[in-house]
Amino acid sequence: MNILAIETATTACALGLRSDDGFEVGWVVDEDRRHTEVLAASISRLLREARLRARDLDRVVVDRGPGLFTGLRVGLATALGLSEATGCPLVGVTSLELFAHASHDSGTRGTLVCAVDGRRGEVFVQTFALDEAVTPVDEPSVARAHDVAAKWVGRDEPVTFTGDGVERYLGDFAAVARGVVDHQTVPSVAASLSLGATRPPVARVEPLYLRDADAVANFTTRVRP
Amino acid sequence: MATGVALAIETSCDDTAAAVVDATWRVRSSVIESSIDQHREFGGVVPELAGRAHLTTVGPVVRRALDDAGLDPRAPAIDVVAVTAGPGLVGSLLIGLSAAKAYSLAWDVPFVGVNHLEGHLFAPLLERPDLQWPIVTLLVSGGHSMIVVQRGPGEHVVVGETIDDAAGEAYDKVARWLGLAYPGGPEIDRLARQGTGGALKLPVSMTGDDFDLSFSGLKTAVVRATEKHPEVALADVAASFQDAVAEQLLRKLRRVLEAYGEVRGVALAGGVAANSALRRGVEALADEFAIPSLLPSLAMCTDNAAMIGAAGLHRFAHDGPSDLSLSARPNWSLSEVS
Ligand SMILES: [Zn+2]
Repeated sequence: MNILAIETATTACALGLRSDDGFEVGWVVDEDRRHTEVLAASISRLLREARLRARDLDRVVVDRGPGLFTGLRVGLATALGLSEATGCPLVGVTSLELFAHASHDSGTRGTLVCAVDGRRGEVFVQTFALDEAVTPVDEPSVARAHDVAAKWVGRDEPVTFTGDGVERYLGDFAAVARGVVDHQTVPSVAASLSLGATRPPVARVEPLYLRDADAVANFTTRVRP
Repeated sequence: MATGVALAIETSCDDTAAAVVDATWRVRSSVIESSIDQHREFGGVVPELAGRAHLTTVGPVVRRALDDAGLDPRAPAIDVVAVTAGPGLVGSLLIGLSAAKAYSLAWDVPFVGVNHLEGHLFAPLLERPDLQWPIVTLLVSGGHSMIVVQRGPGEHVVVGETIDDAAGEAYDKVARWLGLAYPGGPEIDRLARQGTGGALKLPVSMTGDDFDLSFSGLKTAVVRATEKHPEVALADVAASFQDAVAEQLLRKLRRVLEAYGEVRGVALAGGVAANSALRRGVEALADEFAIPSLLPSLAMCTDNAAMIGAAGLHRFAHDGPSDLSLSARPNWSLSEVS
């Protein structure tokens, strides 16, 4: 299966490509919010290196968030365009489960809290139980980073924290006595390729918005150009 | 002259649009989906809502435009993908731009980024391919008000511009003050037809010799005058305001026509070009100067992708394709394009 993974949920832009010919690459293209500038050009380059054309793709896996809206929309609109243009099926994954699977793959077991930076002091957060499998314990939600960390401060249970939201508010999470940090900042495209290969495609990939548009909108409305 | 066939995508504000246009300016298809109903209660376009809507709509809109033009959605016989790169809301622009790059990459056809305002300048051409150059165009929309001298397709000079609010912006602000629904332009236009212009005395602004425009003072004048004369009927206020806007625009347009002697047509473009008073005024002015008036149909005045396709074919022929690294340019001025 020729499979492309698109990752734009954080300030980073990353790509993964696995081909039938044994070509496999995971590539953090940029870490500085230049999704629009680098994504399409990098896909083009990666396909050339793998000696594939876009129409050879059997599947495009895209991170549907939660994450930063600007980057997510670039990734989702690109995935959507590729799929519309070629008929290639789409698979959606979440940024939080990508952190969880990558942490699991590197040996983490027990309780894992994944946090994606949501700006304004908040993180998008989800808890997972890691044994042989990766099992979500709750639904993704948005919360203040400080409150997420504080929940674990007095507990006796060991816990692992990971994600760019943990790195951003490292001071809060380091205060958890029985906590350890798995230092990940970019949702894993390797995990995305693995999940994408086994998960059934969907007709539409919906972005995972954890905030209402009304709350996000600062109500500064704009005029038509 | 441009050659080929363009698929065009436009997502600069609240309209998601796609069209197929060929080099003879024939519009083979044009599809528009607006998210305006979601914005009304906020009295303006909410960027976050617009962005969400574009992401949902852009795929189906492009598919329909290809289908209406009789093209294969997996391998359309097109030569370029044209897309609005600015000016506009960045979160909206990014969606059209990212999708356009993906289509271009997947079909292996070049893509070209288009200035939305240059797109508006091509709208009159789509319906009047026989027009004679040069022409003077009054480009008036929610975000822009300018007078442009065009010596040929894509050869334009902005000779006058608003120094504060755009005309459409003034319409929206006055409409809000009067308690009318958003967007204000069509509401005021509708009301004004039942009212009497001049019923409310408004000062004449921008009487200078330059070609610049200003609408901020007029908006303030409406607020003051209606506070002082609450007895003036709403329809009369609307008519008085509409007349004052048209008067200023037409006076400046006249000055430009006088200054540029050999003009062979006068055109209207942009959303406010749908305004009935302005259309009548431009027709009268054209008669007076014995030149044709080039008034696009209402569908071509408001945002659409056909005009982006026409401008895109021109830019592609003259400047070649854009690079896949092109970024959105939310403040891209028309003066930077020529
Ligand atoms: Zn416009």
